[in-house]
Amino acid sequence: MTRFIESTITFPYKRSLGPVVGAFMTALTEKQILGIRSGDAVLVPPMEWDPSTGAELAHEFVEVGPAGTVESWTWVTTPSEQHPLDHPFAFALVRLDGATTPLLHAVDAGTPGGVSEGMRVAPRWRGTRAGRIDDIICFVPGEVPETEGEDTGGAAEPVTRMDYLASITYRNPVPEAADRATEASREHRLLGLRCPACGRVYAGGRGLCPVDAIELGPECEVDLPHKGTITNFAIVTPVQYPGQTETEPFVRAFVLLDDTDVIIPYSAVIELPADQIRVGQRVDAVWASPAEETEEGGGMGGSWGSLLGWIPNGEPDLDDPDLVNRIF
Amino acid sequence: MSTPPVAVVGVGQTHHKSRRLDVSFGGLVREAVFRALDDAQMTLADIDAVVLGKAPDLFEGVMKPELYLSDALGAVGKPMFRVHTAGSVGGTTAIVAASHVQAGKHRTVLAVAFEKQSEGNAQFALGSGKGASLGAGGAFAPFIRAYIQRSGAPEHIGWKVAVKDRLNALKNPYAHLKIEDISIEKVKASPMMWEPTRFLESCPSSDGACAVVITDEAGGNAAAADGRPPAWILGSSSRSEPPSFPGRDPVRPMAALQCAADVYSAAGITDPRRQIDTAELYVPFSWLEPIWLEAFGLAEEGEGWKMVDDGTTELGGALPVNASGGVLSSNPIGASGLLRFAEAANQVRGAAGEHQVDGAKVAIGMAYGANNQYFSTWAVGSSLHPFD
Amino acid sequence: MSAPSTDIAVIGWAQSQMVRHTDKSETQLLMSAITDAITPLGLQRADIDFTCLGSCDYITGQAFSFVSNLDAIGAWPPKRDSHVEMDGAWALYEAWLRLQEGDIEIAVVTGSGRSSTGDPALIYPMEMDPYFLAPLGADPLTFAALQARAVIASGIADERRMAEVAVRARGTGNVESLLAEEFIRQPLRRHDVPPITDGAAAMVLATGDRARQLVERPAYITGFDHRTECHNPSFRALDDSPSTRIAAEAAGLAAAPVEVAELQAAFTHEELLLRSVLGLGDDVTVNASGGALKENPIMASGLCRVGYAADHIFGGGNRALAHSTSGPCLQQNLVCILEGRS
Repeated sequence: MTRFIESTITFPYKRSLGPVVGAFMTALTEKQILGIRSGDAVLVPPMEWDPSTGAELAHEFVEVGPAGTVESWTWVTTPSEQHPLDHPFAFALVRLDGATTPLLHAVDAGTPGGVSEGMRVAPRWRGTRAGRIDDIICFVPGEVPETEGEDTGGAAEPVTRMDYLASITYRNPVPEAADRATEASREHRLLGLRCPACGRVYAGGRGLCPVDAIELGPECEVDLPHKGTITNFAIVTPVQYPGQTETEPFVRAFVLLDDTDVIIPYSAVIELPADQIRVGQRVDAVWASPAEETEEGGGMGGSWGSLLGWIPNGEPDLDDPDLVNRIF
Repeated sequence: MSTPPVAVVGVGQTHHKSRRLDVSFGGLVREAVFRALDDAQMTLADIDAVVLGKAPDLFEGVMKPELYLSDALGAVGKPMFRVHTAGSVGGTTAIVAASHVQAGKHRTVLAVAFEKQSEGNAQFALGSGKGASLGAGGAFAPFIRAYIQRSGAPEHIGWKVAVKDRLNALKNPYAHLKIEDISIEKVKASPMMWEPTRFLESCPSSDGACAVVITDEAGGNAAAADGRPPAWILGSSSRSEPPSFPGRDPVRPMAALQCAADVYSAAGITDPRRQIDTAELYVPFSWLEPIWLEAFGLAEEGEGWKMVDDGTTELGGALPVNASGGVLSSNPIGASGLLRFAEAANQVRGAAGEHQVDGAKVAIGMAYGANNQYFSTWAVGSSLHPFD
Repeated sequence: MSAPSTDIAVIGWAQSQMVRHTDKSETQLLMSAITDAITPLGLQRADIDFTCLGSCDYITGQAFSFVSNLDAIGAWPPKRDSHVEMDGAWALYEAWLRLQEGDIEIAVVTGSGRSSTGDPALIYPMEMDPYFLAPLGADPLTFAALQARAVIASGIADERRMAEVAVRARGTGNVESLLAEEFIRQPLRRHDVPPITDGAAAMVLATGDRARQLVERPAYITGFDHRTECHNPSFRALDDSPSTRIAAEAAGLAAAPVEVAELQAAFTHEELLLRSVLGLGDDVTVNASGGALKENPIMASGLCRVGYAADHIFGGGNRALAHSTSGPCLQQNLVCILEGRS
């Protein structure tokens, strides 16, 4: 039975708008909608370039609307979390008065029967406007614009940036090999998989041999030693970003397991300060108590299940010039 | 090689900065595109196809940006293609664009690569949003440690590369980092990032774009006749190897060795050290310069650091490397590979301005990606048969 | 400048199981698809001179997701290799160009995607204009609906004919009961929209002499082109697909009749529109495979169309057309013409 992991990638992007989109967004804060002249046409929304040829457009802005005509529409019965309204609404192509091209936006028509081609709509403005396309909350039937909430006025400075929060949740399967490696770690077993074709052994739940491009199933399992040698390492000084968990320099070590060619990469080291780690250092695996278990592991992660990391075991360092190459 | 000759006739790039707050996405790429078109004395109408390259879309939060940028790049009614090979992508973009012409399918192709990574956060994107990201340099620190131990290179080599590239950048009007008072002491005193790589030995995070106009033999000859000598593509290759398995060499990846062999064979290069006049190698962390010098046969194994130490790879040396300032000076990730290829082309066109290597007739541009797995390289020459 | 060679052929292909929701990773899907594509030809991974993969980070949910897919190739010793953030049909285009250079003989291209991973309604707005459309969460179903309305208004389609397409594609259902269903995004009903499918496909290409050594009846690529249109659907006439028309012309569709056409039409109205734009009469069998309405493995869907078109040639057919698309309202379109030889 395959397990799935959910992960959400969220980031608050901050975009710069450039001169044309910037002018449009600034005007939105003033409850104005701008198009840009392209030959005889007035393009809404305004582009920096002629969409057919790519030629740069002069910054000849034309105020359009505020009202317009619905040219086409569809009905959103169950809005997504990204949609402009949280109740059913129409997405419509609205040709604002004076524009040659229509603008896509929401129309708060109430029911599908309340929206039709040819009907007149006007913007419902947000009281506090940031200089984003959703300063227009939506369009409403009729000629007269509305404002929702207290109108706090236009932007004090021209708008040049825009926020965009992207958040997507993914559900990905945990490969069987990864789960078996995690399960085995609960019994304090380090599981490896030996490729029947080339004989290489892979640990950490990597269920395939990339050299022979074959999957490695349970019949390939071997138990690996819990002792090894540090062959190489990275000492990372953390940089701050949304989602960062570290504040101090941390180590990720490569451990060569005794009597094998198996490398456990990017491993955590325990009771081993960054300034004392050495190539050739002898280490033992450290297993978690039930309370410390993690779901990470496989691939890049050097810790999985109950394998927390590695701790110096006091044995004399191994002196082998080739050790430092054993990273893979 | 049996394929028809293909030439670079125009190169353009943006002023690379940590944040290009003055432009939109379209504005950024168009800045590079129009510079390239002007350089080629062409307009968008002369372009038959566009190849766009970019690193992961997570950097900007715009999925498949070739869709949004189709009209910005004048590609309406034309083929538009998007490649993505991690850090080597800029190089692959040029190679695929050249392939479009070599196949006889398109006459003049625009290769464009960009990154507007200030809109997101590079470290975030590299770690796909998880904590304790290794960061850009964390994956390479072990390779560097292996190189230093194998070669016995002294610790100052990395600092020398950093100083060299940053001094070169002062001669490149487009470069992001311009550190006037750069010195060994300053590099040595900068914060440690991924031991042994310090802050001033690391690439910046840049917003930027690069564009290259590639055309057929007739187009190349026309440019030459007009007093605008092209760069002829003598050979190119993209090679990949898997990220991790026992037997991979961290310092001399076989994909790099084979990529170099492919290109040298096609270009008729039998003695790279002597036949190549200048190289633009993808060096985001200083120690990668001696590593790539060796992997690309410009230095014997274990000797690459000596070419750094004795000044061979400086702008005034016998084999200047990264005369443009390289990735260490400007790193809009998706574009960086194309910048290497473009700068190599500019060298043999005599169009490199203040950072021109005198008399450069043959140059290579190289890019790599991911865990030293993806390699893209091309060799360009001021003539089709530079060794005759 | 000489025209591209028409002596490069598709000689085989395979797809993973196409399911609503796989518990296999994308790499696992690809690994078996590649093995299944090359093994019947007597080939091993070592025989592959060039690989090009098509996949999308945002579908997978991870930056550099294609790097793990490299494990499916067996790129050791290192392979000449590339990757496009596009459907495998465009990976095919890159490989076709590469083979023209004449120094290599065999290429494998793939397309893969697990679109069950995330909600398309939340992911796809991110491919839209970042200033005017993405912030509204403007999703693919909305754009498809707006195009459907335009196509219906032009007379190229109507709800009944759209339902007929659905019935034919999936081999089940009847038109009357389908038409009685509620709209999900007017004028689209559930049957008008594609399923979510996880899957991967791999295809083998060879240059002429090698192709003829390996199979009896190669499917020669005699025409291949793709074109794009301006991005924002607001600026386009949605009752037409000019890029499809131009691509088809450049690919030489008009030179001779095609017996079979595999069109990557994820929505029923798209099939009718594309048929019309391509001038495909009733004598052409369209989407015998069921098309993207039956199985829609994003990033592989277009490559599968080429595969099914190639099957027609392998089975004795003479000329087939395959189509792939990308972007909102058929923004970008690819046409590939395959032919057999006597």
